[in-house]
Amino acid sequence: MSAADCEQQETGWGILEDLPGDPMIWVLIFSELAAFGLFLGAFIVARAIHPAMFAAGQATLDAHLAGLNTIVLVTSGWAAARGTAAARAGDKRAARGWLLGAMALGGVFIAIKLFEYAGEIGQGIGLETSSFFTLYFLLTGFHLLHVGLGIVILAVVSRGAEAAGVETGTAFWHMVDLLWIVMFPIIYLVQP
Amino acid sequence: MIPDRLDITWIVLIGLALATILVPPLVPRPLFANALLLTLAALKGRRIVLDFLDLRAAPALWRGLVSAWILVVVLFAWLASAVVVLI
Repeated sequence: MSAADCEQQETGWGILEDLPGDPMIWVLIFSELAAFGLFLGAFIVARAIHPAMFAAGQATLDAHLAGLNTIVLVTSGWAAARGTAAARAGDKRAARGWLLGAMALGGVFIAIKLFEYAGEIGQGIGLETSSFFTLYFLLTGFHLLHVGLGIVILAVVSRGAEAAGVETGTAFWHMVDLLWIVMFPIIYLVQP
Repeated sequence: MIPDRLDITWIVLIGLALATILVPPLVPRPLFANALLLTLAALKGRRIVLDFLDLRAAPALWRGLVSAWILVVVLFAWLASAVVVLI
């Protein structure tokens, strides 16, 4: 058995090791993509069955606030990517600064989303208003929980600011970013 | 300071996000508007996958898998909306 084979057996992650960060985070990322994909699929099918109800629900949403949140989250993703680059270069101070910026923008995303929810709830809209709002609150709420979890993960990895840890934390953060990029037009803009 | 690939990706993403918001008022026909919105989403997703998730240098299998996820979701969304519009 060659030395390479021995090393492969010791780590045990196979081809997942070619990905940036801890392979375990990629198991989580692929699971999350599958779960959100199914969830979005359910939303798309429900809209095809009830186009009028979904059009009415969508018309009450604030697409401009959600668009602003897209810009906030994309900028946060950029800051996280800069943090990874700084950590790889061994500049821990810069890495912490970029990650702090990414977390702060994550906080802004949450604040804007809660403000948006408050406006909708103020109009008397809730989980049981219609199938559209049930799926809307579940999908965006589930995503919002991931933003909160992502901020916690970034806070944890920014303490040591080691390249491997930062790569792992930011991989999760970029997945949260990617999910929103796909969710935003499907929920807020695509016309039934 | 000369912008690097990360900076350029961020600027492109901001541009595509602004373009996305402008589509509904500028493109009144749902079939085309939806196609444009979902194409913009796929382009943004692809940039995030390649440059932020840093899969540009990763094996094609992983890059393809995540890109395929984006493609399947946006294609399904467009096809479902097209069926509703055309029926």
